[in-house]
Amino acid sequence: MNSVLHTEKLCKSFSSGGVQQHVIKNLDLDIRKEDFTVIMGSSGSGKSTLLYALSGMDKPTLGKVYFGDEDISALTNDQLAVFRRKHCGFVFQSIYLLDNMTVFDNVMTGALVSQKNSPELIRKAEELLKKVGMGEDSWKKYPNQLSGGECQRVGIVRAVVNDPQILFADEPTGSLNSASSRDVLDIFTELHGKGQSIVMVTHDIKTALRGNRVIFLSDGAVVGEYEMPLYGTDDLRARREGLQDFLDRMGW
Amino acid sequence: MEKIFRLSMANLKKHKLETVSLFLLILLCMLLLGSALGAMVGIKSIFPQIVQHTQSFENFIMVQEKVYDPEFKHIIEEDERVEEVECVDILYSMSTNYLDRQGKEQALYLVFITESNNNKIQNTEIVTTLTDAEIASLEHPIYMPYTMHDSMGYNENDTFDVIVGTKKFTFTIAGFYDTMFFDQVSGGVKMIVSDEDYHILSAVINNYVAMFYNDHQGQGGETLFYDLLDAMEAYSSTDVKSGIMAQVYDGVELGITYAANMVMALMISMAVIIILAVAFMIRFRIAGDIREQIVNIGVLEAIGYTSGEITLSYVIEYLLIAGAGLIFGIIGSFLLTPVMFHAGEIITEHRGSAGITVLPILLAAAAILLFVGLIAFIRARRVRNYPPVAAFRKGQGDHRFGKEHFPLRRTRSNVHIRLALKGFVENWRQNLGLTVCIMVATAASVFSFAMFTFFSGDMNAIASTAGMELSDLRLDIMPSVDAYALAEELESMPEVRKATPTAGTDLLLTAADFNEVMFTVGFSSFDVTENIFPSAGRFPEHDNEIMVTNMFARHYHVKVGDTLTLEYQKVQKNYVITGFVTSSTNGGINLYITEDGIKRLYPNYHPGTVEVYLEDGIDPNSFRYTLTEMYGRSLSDASKETAAGGTYEDRIRAEAEQQIAEMMANYGVSHVEYSIQSGDTVISGNSDAFQIASIMNIRDILRTQLAATATAISVIATMFVLLAAIVVMVILFVLMESTIRRQRKEFGIMKGMGYTSKELMVQLAMRIMPAALIAVISGTVIGVLSINLLVAYYGRITVNLPLILLLDAALLVFCFGCAYFGARKVKKISVYELMTE
Repeated sequence: MNSVLHTEKLCKSFSSGGVQQHVIKNLDLDIRKEDFTVIMGSSGSGKSTLLYALSGMDKPTLGKVYFGDEDISALTNDQLAVFRRKHCGFVFQSIYLLDNMTVFDNVMTGALVSQKNSPELIRKAEELLKKVGMGEDSWKKYPNQLSGGECQRVGIVRAVVNDPQILFADEPTGSLNSASSRDVLDIFTELHGKGQSIVMVTHDIKTALRGNRVIFLSDGAVVGEYEMPLYGTDDLRARREGLQDFLDRMGW
Repeated sequence: MEKIFRLSMANLKKHKLETVSLFLLILLCMLLLGSALGAMVGIKSIFPQIVQHTQSFENFIMVQEKVYDPEFKHIIEEDERVEEVECVDILYSMSTNYLDRQGKEQALYLVFITESNNNKIQNTEIVTTLTDAEIASLEHPIYMPYTMHDSMGYNENDTFDVIVGTKKFTFTIAGFYDTMFFDQVSGGVKMIVSDEDYHILSAVINNYVAMFYNDHQGQGGETLFYDLLDAMEAYSSTDVKSGIMAQVYDGVELGITYAANMVMALMISMAVIIILAVAFMIRFRIAGDIREQIVNIGVLEAIGYTSGEITLSYVIEYLLIAGAGLIFGIIGSFLLTPVMFHAGEIITEHRGSAGITVLPILLAAAAILLFVGLIAFIRARRVRNYPPVAAFRKGQGDHRFGKEHFPLRRTRSNVHIRLALKGFVENWRQNLGLTVCIMVATAASVFSFAMFTFFSGDMNAIASTAGMELSDLRLDIMPSVDAYALAEELESMPEVRKATPTAGTDLLLTAADFNEVMFTVGFSSFDVTENIFPSAGRFPEHDNEIMVTNMFARHYHVKVGDTLTLEYQKVQKNYVITGFVTSSTNGGINLYITEDGIKRLYPNYHPGTVEVYLEDGIDPNSFRYTLTEMYGRSLSDASKETAAGGTYEDRIRAEAEQQIAEMMANYGVSHVEYSIQSGDTVISGNSDAFQIASIMNIRDILRTQLAATATAISVIATMFVLLAAIVVMVILFVLMESTIRRQRKEFGIMKGMGYTSKELMVQLAMRIMPAALIAVISGTVIGVLSINLLVAYYGRITVNLPLILLLDAALLVFCFGCAYFGARKVKKISVYELMTE
């Protein structure tokens, strides 16, 4: 498979009160096209930091991040924004819908940033919403009128409406109950099944099982990697035991 | 109390930029208000000070020497309302010029008086840097009113060249003094000259007798004045009112202080605009702060703070800001008041002394403090709507159930404009306040800008409002000269575009119904006029028709179609008013009438003036010399011709002409024939060479008269526009800063989605543009209406619409620029920090 993103000697440090904290250290990593890559690790291992560095949300302190042949670590903030709108979709743990906009407008805000409005675009947004279980009656609702799971589904539609080359997700089920989590993960699985590249940060094994590649971070470095078949094509119990075994070896 | 104070201080520290902006605006407001009030108190005292230290007479009536009768003095003396009378000789001319520093002739109404006569009517306290010995050594000393030093920049020992006709009289300035009458460049200045110089000038400048009287500080007023004129006319059976000059006490006071008080009033209105902006900012900031701090407010309430205490913390916060601004503003006011007072002195063209007046400044400060506290209290009281639980749920502030505005599915072009419109509608309350602020600032700017362009636009403004013809040269001709024949001759000259006979300034008719003496503007037909514009009705065409000015119509409540009785030399006739004229000259007492109309009252009337319009590129001042060469000389030129040179016969002729000039100028002689025998030679001649009595460059006169006004207005306009710009800029900066702080999360999310900082800045700036557009349009309408209201008294004044529209466009660009620049802090929103916080 082709690499869609790769890093070279990626470093990210934070300084606070004159003290430097190196969160990511000389990290070389390939994110492959059409993979569902799950980044795991203990708290403070640098999972989210890596995700935001890969997605152009944040700039690395040192090293490079390549999207294809393009070095995105050299881009300005506004160039990174353009990169994100063209190539990336995001699903956040806190969902981050725009409170002052309806469900449909939240989706369209994401869509219209990179595309011109057209009947096709509207139809696509409508179809996606329906597909994640958000019926027409919910489109004019505001986020405060929705449940957490519904909000996250809207968040996913907003992230994928532009057909991003990579979908980034940071603990997408972190604030959801188990039923809602399952629904959301099913959407991710379906997207992956259709060839969507996904990079997801999670600390939940159930969530991680949906991926086909698990990268384990410790102290800012990749310390282990585990490959799995496509979700649903193997025995779930064996899949779970295999992942659990890997995580145990990583000191999880 | 201490805990509330701590809350206030914490809030102050949190919003430094807004705090500093509010502080600066309040400081500026106090500075303007305090210094203007202080200066106004000082300016108010100028007139009483003049009265006190000049010990001047309070009123005067000035008539031509040939009209004056010694009995007039007795008539005044015998009136019981009059305390004291003094009559003195005076020289006055509207056609005198002077040479400015560049040697260019400038028009100035000049009055000449001897020192002894001046001492009879006032206490002449001379201020000079010269010693007595130095003054004694001056050949032609002249003492001038203060304004010649303060406004015109003359100093002791400077030479001052007076031009009468083609003759130049050079004086040396010996000192300056204060006077109540003829004290302003715009209205004429009274020069004190030596007896010898007065005698020389009296041959070339009209001789008047000025009757000064006191009436218990203006108690007699205009009633006494007109009663005295009626009594004089009754006694003399002559038309005294025609050709008089006069001033009464109240008019003098108003004339001295009016312009300066106007300037100060404008400053106060600017301060009011600023305080409105402050009110808006306080309201907006408290609303934003409550929304932002709602959870903290809930926590405070949960631990026992009452909503009243939290409200009080907001009030204290703004009182602290206002207090700091006011303290510095008051200090600034004390420093600025003398400067403003000096500006007032320059505008009033008088000197005064004024101490720092503390009370009005402190009262203004207290009013501002109270206002700020009240606004803060009204807004902060809303805290009580959020009990702890509601506050923890963020009130209902972030919860929306209402109508959806500008849904994105209907986006046709640019999503940023659509999002900006959504933002605009969602923040309509804030935008309403913003609209009011920008509207007021726009109205003030448009008003100032329009006045500025109107008054600074060369002669166009004057030409359109003068209500009189503004030819290049105005020739007052000798009574024996046929104005039409002279006009025809003049029109044959290549330099002359047009020459029009008219009534001139000497013919005064009385509106008998109102006992108002009016300046006659008479033409054979008004079709020949170029600067007289009816604002209502039409020009008079028949001999029973007249037009009056808008000012006259408003003052006396007359309408088109009304009948007015005119009087001249005891003859009265009725005339129909056919229209009104826009006129800002002669106090609005111009009367527009045809020659045939004049002849109904004055059958022997002949035009005494020719208005000469020159071709483009012809210099009026050069051409007046051509005229004097062609038509022999003007009366005023001849009268001071030296008789020293040439042959014996030349000297005799020159002396004869000088005598003729004196007779014609001072004694109303219209024609002279002479024959002088010297030995076998008979030298004869006549007064035919004297065709022109005087030549006036009327545009120069008006330009000089309006120069001070134009300068004052341009300064005020610039100040207004600058202040308006500062206010709008500060408001927009604060607004943007608050919006970004309040919507930090939303902007972070949008950045995460791929919206660039620049796009968000454009969105933010675009959000205020509908408000700005509405504000600028309505502000322009208000500004233009205000101008029209102000000038409606004069008539119709054309506002330069393209320039105003250009200003509007500039204002919109400015608003956008300020908002865009103010929104730059959106760049600092880090998506990463937002997502990980």
